[in-house]
Amino acid sequence: MKVTEKMSQRDTLNSHHSEVLLEVNRLTKMYGKVQALKDVSFSVKNGSSYGLLGPNGAGKSTTMKILTGVIKANKGSAKLLGKDVSKDQAIVSKYIGYVPQEITLYEQLSAYDNLIFFGQMYGMQGNALKKRVEEVLIQTGLADRGKDAIKTFSGGMKRRINIGAALLHRPKLLILDEPTVGIDPQSRNHIFDMIRDLNRQGTTIIYSTHYMEEVEVLCDEIAIIDEGSVKAQGPLGALLEEFGKKAIYLEVANMDIPPELSEDIKVVKEGSGWILETEKVAETMKVLLNLAAANHWEVKQLEIVRPSLENVFLRVTGTALRD
Amino acid sequence: MKVGESVKAIIIKELKIMVKEKANFFFLLLMPLIFIVMFGSIFNNTDDASLTFHVVDQDQSTASKAFLKQITALPGMKVEKDSEANLQQQVHKIEQGQQDSLIVVPKDFEADLNAGQQAAIKLYQDPTQASSVAPIESVLNNITNQYREQKLQQTLVKMGQTQAEATQALKAPIQIKDVNTTSDNVDYISQVVPGMTVMFVFYIMISMVRRFFKEKESGLISRIRSTSIKPYYYLIGMWIPFVLTVIAQCIVLFAFGHWMYDLKLGDLTAMALIIICISLCGTGIGLALSFLVSGETVGMVVTQVIALAGAMLGGLWVPSYLMPDFVQKLGHFFPQFWAQKALQDIIVHHAHVGDIWKSLGVLLIFAVLGFIVAIIRFPRFLRSAAN
Repeated sequence: MKVTEKMSQRDTLNSHHSEVLLEVNRLTKMYGKVQALKDVSFSVKNGSSYGLLGPNGAGKSTTMKILTGVIKANKGSAKLLGKDVSKDQAIVSKYIGYVPQEITLYEQLSAYDNLIFFGQMYGMQGNALKKRVEEVLIQTGLADRGKDAIKTFSGGMKRRINIGAALLHRPKLLILDEPTVGIDPQSRNHIFDMIRDLNRQGTTIIYSTHYMEEVEVLCDEIAIIDEGSVKAQGPLGALLEEFGKKAIYLEVANMDIPPELSEDIKVVKEGSGWILETEKVAETMKVLLNLAAANHWEVKQLEIVRPSLENVFLRVTGTALRD
Repeated sequence: MKVGESVKAIIIKELKIMVKEKANFFFLLLMPLIFIVMFGSIFNNTDDASLTFHVVDQDQSTASKAFLKQITALPGMKVEKDSEANLQQQVHKIEQGQQDSLIVVPKDFEADLNAGQQAAIKLYQDPTQASSVAPIESVLNNITNQYREQKLQQTLVKMGQTQAEATQALKAPIQIKDVNTTSDNVDYISQVVPGMTVMFVFYIMISMVRRFFKEKESGLISRIRSTSIKPYYYLIGMWIPFVLTVIAQCIVLFAFGHWMYDLKLGDLTAMALIIICISLCGTGIGLALSFLVSGETVGMVVTQVIALAGAMLGGLWVPSYLMPDFVQKLGHFFPQFWAQKALQDIIVHHAHVGDIWKSLGVLLIFAVLGFIVAIIRFPRFLRSAAN
């Protein structure tokens, strides 16, 4: 998928949000002598889709567990609608749906029974719960498999029910921790569609992943987190603008060596052409068009390369995103 | 959310999982049933304390039949008759060591008696089994003496004494009086059914450790903690299904003993109370263990130690009174001893609730101690589940 396509998909997501739903302020967490989080701060606007991007072990899951009241931070606070989540579990269970990284379902029980159980854990019961379970089964695309045991499901189907279990009480904020790990592209696309639909309907999303392309497709704001601290954050476009490299891609038939250009343009071989990194994109493009006309180049491709999140990650962390 | 609703949801979920876990049926029901049947069939025959007389009646007369009837009239004596055609076969069995003895009533037995001659009875015996044959020989001598006394009495009456004087004259100078008492001695079924039931009740601890660790390691506990249920409601919801399982396990095993081996269950109220206390005790210790051990494997090892040591020292395999004194005293520190004692008191000695209060109390103390340890350790378990 080309970057331009990814950007357009992201732009279609709900962006009508200004009220802050979640305010995370200087969270610090120690596991013995190991510091898992160092002064992590970010805020999530109501109705937005917020990405937490970072490698495994960066502190994403720890952050999410603090947000859902599973563990307590040593310092700092996380406030949902102005209330401290560590002091008010009721607000967490009422407004937050948490999808852990692991598939936390009862393998022996059917999808229906699992959803009924988690619905009851969120305080739902009776016909309202049964109706809601049917809705969620439709939402996950598994209405016809509701009575089957989870152990008979594929990894992707399990992931979908895993998300479904967090949707039963119609949470205002859905927190997903690496929800697409180890699944096939078809299931991944289904999960993306589910998340987009939920976001369009007004559910605020926090999406944790180490896959950059997922953040680019799904999120309109991100925080890059590494070694327990937030390295950069903001709207995706702003981050790309601030930290991404500007470049032009040139591919000419029967040309084995790159054209001679100004010394401040860095040339890197890429496939059958070259990436020309420059801050003066328009000027360089003009020079290239003139050269092409003068030398009768058979230009196969000449385009501006949008900055990539990979570049941004490299710039802010000093390393490539590792698994 | 109402407490009852959330706890009920967890109980129903756990019961559904238990029913679908085949291993539970194996450990909690099939294994004890196999043990009961196996030990029952091996030892049930040895409980038959009656003395068997193998007899070949060649005379088939009224007198010979009357003689044999005198044997069966004695308590604990049994006559197995064989046809004359099998005489050689029977003798061969003795020679092969497969049978201890054989009584042969000869053809002229009645005729000799009527003629006032000494009627002979042949006793074939294996000389290497003297101790087994001695009681048979003694019974025969005793009956023979009765014939002699009858003959003497008839003679005395003929000599002019009255019936009463003749009876008085033949009265034995020593009289043995029966005094019935109770003892700890029990038949094997009354030992093996409660013994195996109590032993396998404690295997519920393995199921408990396994379930709690599975919930922890799969991340389910973390997820459930993000919902509205309070941690201690979760604990209660997880514990109650195990209590119910143990109660069901006891009911099935005792019902099996009752229908299969005619085990007398005694006072059912007392029986119900002791089963509830056993269940609380086993699951209470199971809870403590689940939050004390570092992993599932350690939990299984500790369970084996508790279950097997308790079974051995608590008198579940062999009655306590057969064990050395210090072992009997050591057994008092195991809940299995008190459970077995109360069950046998109900089954064998027809005890009621008032007679087993001490055992009920001890089992409840073990249960309460288990719960206290579990409550102390539970927060740590939750923390480890979250990391």
